[in-house]
Amino acid sequence: MKREPGVWRLGWRVANHRAPLFWGSWLLFVMFFTFPVLNGWLLGRGFHALETGHQSQVYWYAAGALVSDALRMACIHAGALSFTRVWVHMQTFLRANMMTAQLASGGPEAGQPVGSAGEAITHFRDDVQDATQFIDGLIDISAGLVFTLLAAFVLGSIDLSAASILLVPLAGVALATRALDTRIKRYRTADRAAASKVSGFLGDVMAAATTIKVNDASGTTLSHLRALVDSRRHTAVRDRVLDEGVQAFAQGAADVGLGFVLLVTAGGLANGTFDVGKLAVFVAYLGWLSFLPRMVGRVLARRKQAGVAFDRMRGLVAERDVRNTVRARELPIGRREDRPRLGAIRPERTQLETLEVRGLTAQYSTGGGVRDVSFSLQRGSFTVLTGPIGSGKSTLLRALLGLTINAELAGDVLWNGSVIADRAAFLVPPNAAYLSQVPQLISDSVGENVALGAAAPESIEIALTLAAVRSDIDEMPHGLDTLIGPRGLRLSGGQRQRVATARALVHAPELVVLDDLSSALDVETELQLWHNLADAGMTVLAVSHRAVAFDRADQVLRLDAGRLGSAYAAT
Amino acid sequence: MTKPTSRWRALAALLRPDATRWGWVGALVAMSSGLALAGPLVVRAIVDQAKAGATTNQLLRLAGLFLAIAVGAQVLTVAFTWFATVTAWHTTNEIRMRLAGHVLGLDHEFHRKHTPGELIQRVDGDVTSVSDFLGQVVPRVVGAAAMVVGMVGVLAVVDWRLAVGAAVYVVLSALLIVKGRHRAVGEASDEMGAYAKLYGGIEERLTAAEDLRANGAGAHAMWRFVGESAGALNSAVRRESAFLRLWWAVQGSVAVGASVSLVSGAVLVNSGAISLGTAFLMFQYVLLLERPLEDVVHQLETVQKANGAMVRVIDLLAIEPAITDHGTVSPVAGPLSVEFRAVSFRYDIQTNGNQENGKADDEQVLRDIKLTIAPGRSVGVVGRTGSGKTTLSRLVLRLIEATDGAVCLGGVPIGDIPVAELRRRVAMIPQEVELFSGSVRDNVTLFDPAPTDEQVATALRLAGLDTLVTGGIHRDLGAGGTGLSAGEAQLLALARVWVRNPDLVVLDEATSRTDPETEARLEAAVAELIQGRTTLIIAHRLSTLRHVDEIVVLDHGRVVEHGNRDDLVADHTSRFHHLLDLALES
Repeated sequence: MKREPGVWRLGWRVANHRAPLFWGSWLLFVMFFTFPVLNGWLLGRGFHALETGHQSQVYWYAAGALVSDALRMACIHAGALSFTRVWVHMQTFLRANMMTAQLASGGPEAGQPVGSAGEAITHFRDDVQDATQFIDGLIDISAGLVFTLLAAFVLGSIDLSAASILLVPLAGVALATRALDTRIKRYRTADRAAASKVSGFLGDVMAAATTIKVNDASGTTLSHLRALVDSRRHTAVRDRVLDEGVQAFAQGAADVGLGFVLLVTAGGLANGTFDVGKLAVFVAYLGWLSFLPRMVGRVLARRKQAGVAFDRMRGLVAERDVRNTVRARELPIGRREDRPRLGAIRPERTQLETLEVRGLTAQYSTGGGVRDVSFSLQRGSFTVLTGPIGSGKSTLLRALLGLTINAELAGDVLWNGSVIADRAAFLVPPNAAYLSQVPQLISDSVGENVALGAAAPESIEIALTLAAVRSDIDEMPHGLDTLIGPRGLRLSGGQRQRVATARALVHAPELVVLDDLSSALDVETELQLWHNLADAGMTVLAVSHRAVAFDRADQVLRLDAGRLGSAYAAT
Repeated sequence: MTKPTSRWRALAALLRPDATRWGWVGALVAMSSGLALAGPLVVRAIVDQAKAGATTNQLLRLAGLFLAIAVGAQVLTVAFTWFATVTAWHTTNEIRMRLAGHVLGLDHEFHRKHTPGELIQRVDGDVTSVSDFLGQVVPRVVGAAAMVVGMVGVLAVVDWRLAVGAAVYVVLSALLIVKGRHRAVGEASDEMGAYAKLYGGIEERLTAAEDLRANGAGAHAMWRFVGESAGALNSAVRRESAFLRLWWAVQGSVAVGASVSLVSGAVLVNSGAISLGTAFLMFQYVLLLERPLEDVVHQLETVQKANGAMVRVIDLLAIEPAITDHGTVSPVAGPLSVEFRAVSFRYDIQTNGNQENGKADDEQVLRDIKLTIAPGRSVGVVGRTGSGKTTLSRLVLRLIEATDGAVCLGGVPIGDIPVAELRRRVAMIPQEVELFSGSVRDNVTLFDPAPTDEQVATALRLAGLDTLVTGGIHRDLGAGGTGLSAGEAQLLALARVWVRNPDLVVLDEATSRTDPETEARLEAAVAELIQGRTTLIIAHRLSTLRHVDEIVVLDHGRVVEHGNRDDLVADHTSRFHHLLDLALES
């Protein structure tokens, strides 16, 4: 068995997503951190000259210090700009891996779908942030290390015992932060969970704003929210205070260090062997010296946070394998980069003759689902699936198409007599298309929503006609370019349903699977739709409860409590 | 966008409730700054006394004092960090609650235009940025300010010229930083906007994930995601450039300060005006300033984020709902009559901004509707999709207001009825039922603790959801309503209405997702529900209209037929009769 890669290896993969840019900005950061060595030394020489009365030398050293600071700033200017780009690239990289897994139709990249979008957003926002902040911290650490080594050399050559005594507080910082590691991780996990709860509930609330309004339930909903935000306050305060406390402790260590230096050098100061120039170098370096243990403390905390983050993100990708969060991929998001429109990756069309469902079972741990369902249908036929609500109609369709979440699956689906190995990958357009019970549209134009990528204008027109929505679209002043608002909310419920139907039909699929279409359609429109689909010679499997559907069906399947009742051919 | 001055006033108003706590934070910060200033004074004494020939022991005592001060400062820092964080979260939780309440109070139209993902970002994400700002940055900035003031004070005691020099130096650097800050705020706000768009898009695509997967549209959605990420990258780089100007200002001041303190020290020591120790003190103070300023620069991202976030929070709070609550007239108790007095409705293009070009937004949805429904009657509203049925129901609920004419309930124009009373007396079962991650009970009562478990159970049974009662009403429904089919969700919405016992019920295609089997049960429930109330039922399944008294047929926003159901069924020339024929249900 291959060993799971740790946070370090994962971080390395993320950093090298854009290697030249990353290492370029790293180098600039290292240079930025080395200039203070020169600067402090020059200031120290300046004070030495001041003490010994060489006034003109003081001016030269002061000017030199200014120049070295200007160079330092130039480095950070270039470095920060390129690191900002690296930063967004790295985050996009992680987000893209999760998105791809969530949206893949089967295949090796498909991950376990998440339940609530409101909760999932924390993976794309907070977890990605935590993972990349760890890498950010590593840059600081490596740069701080270079400074510390150089500074140690300079200080050691000035006064070895004073330099060595500094190790005591600085090591203390590193040890203390190390000791707090597990606690940091625990607090962070609790805080993330509380934050997820808050944003998950807020998502529910915002989606249901109108329901809350008409039920006059703002007050009660808000008091539930208050309970959630209050408990999150406790976790957040613990998390932040520990994080900040570790930092403050490291910062204060510099002053404690100076105290030690003064104790050790008291004799030297008294007899004049340790002059103000030497003390100035110590003072100038101390502020920067505390940077490394401070960053070590912070990065250790961030390593834990990044570990938690990767652990959460893996839940979204294929096989929950954390390696899949860092799969290499092209993401042209730079300003000068070409963004070729990605065509959909579709399976090759395989003409449908017969579809056979054999012993299909999909059971939820909470109970419910479908058990041992078998039926078959022929090319060009119209099969209606009916049954009481909760009898598992949607579950059956989704299990058939390989869309089921968190269910135990068994049984096979055969296409022209051979078992479909990866149903999620095979049963997409042009082989099959699906319309869910509550279809979701995205805030874009009507045309984009139907085509979802590449589709010939004629196919769009045909699909709109078939779905009986063409006249609606033609009446809109901007036609296909009409923007439909977030989740398509600017269309009426029926229009949304029919635009989504057109989306399912646009690639002339071999098999059309429609979940309870009648819910948002009036009888006339539904009737017209069945006519259209029959005239187009399409093979249809649809949920319906209407007589108009039974009347036209070649076969009506009745589902009851997850089992198929008597399947009968319609007259 | 609000003006900067009123923005600060608004921020102050948000902080005022916790003024005492913030006062304590300030006191702790000032004490810790005081200790930080004391340290270099001890070093000055060491330098000067060493020059004056002090013994090693005397110097050791001073060094010990310095160490004690350093340790004390350490303890204070941790204390104020803790207190500042507690206070920041306390304050921002209040802001969060206020924002959530405010957004919930905004019009239906507002929610139609903003994705839940975007609103989460604004209510939670933005406020968290503000919280980080208040908890981490404000104490540091206040600490730096206290330190500067203290420093000038200390120098004034030592030598007035140094104090004047330091004051001029500090004022100049502050001006430089403040100037840069203003530029950076705009860019930070843009960046927040780009990220809100990115996260909103991600949320929307995750919501639609099943549809996208089933239609093999993953690659297309990814292409859009890459485009939005490119937008985020571009705005992040622009924000960083603005931020770097600030960095230059801060770092430049410190670098110049260190060199100037060295040079002026040399001049003053040479002329005998100050001691070597005092020159060293100036040097130490400049370096002392560097640390908090560096910190502030490190935290600038938080500052800018918070600034952008603050602008958005306050702008959001400034949005007023168009539908206001100024009513004082209560319609008589009991079932409400409904009257449409020449009502027309069109979505207002002006308030929608320039991007809105959907049909729904510039079409006359309802035209000159005249309709009277007597109290206690049940009315079925039918018509093709897009005929204006949903708009009609929204008007009765006052989610939108008529462009022309008036809607009256119980004879009172709807705007004259107090909103709380209107909500209490008018209930709705919407087209798409929204569920919460929470218990069955919470989903029925919408978190209201008042109804007893027995009442909730009864309502569920009346709605035909006995299975949920047997499973226990305190059981979790699961996020996004997993575990309930769309039909069952609709029944749950019916239970919500049962608990509230309203006088007017609007069922918007409420029974459309139920199957024939449950329908008989549901029909009985609806027949029971309409007793003693006025009911508007908007349905495509004409069979669910079997029990209604009257039928209204809508076509292209007009009432084309209105009469008693029995009369229309008997009349072979009526539109309703024709519809029943079509549905093969007559």
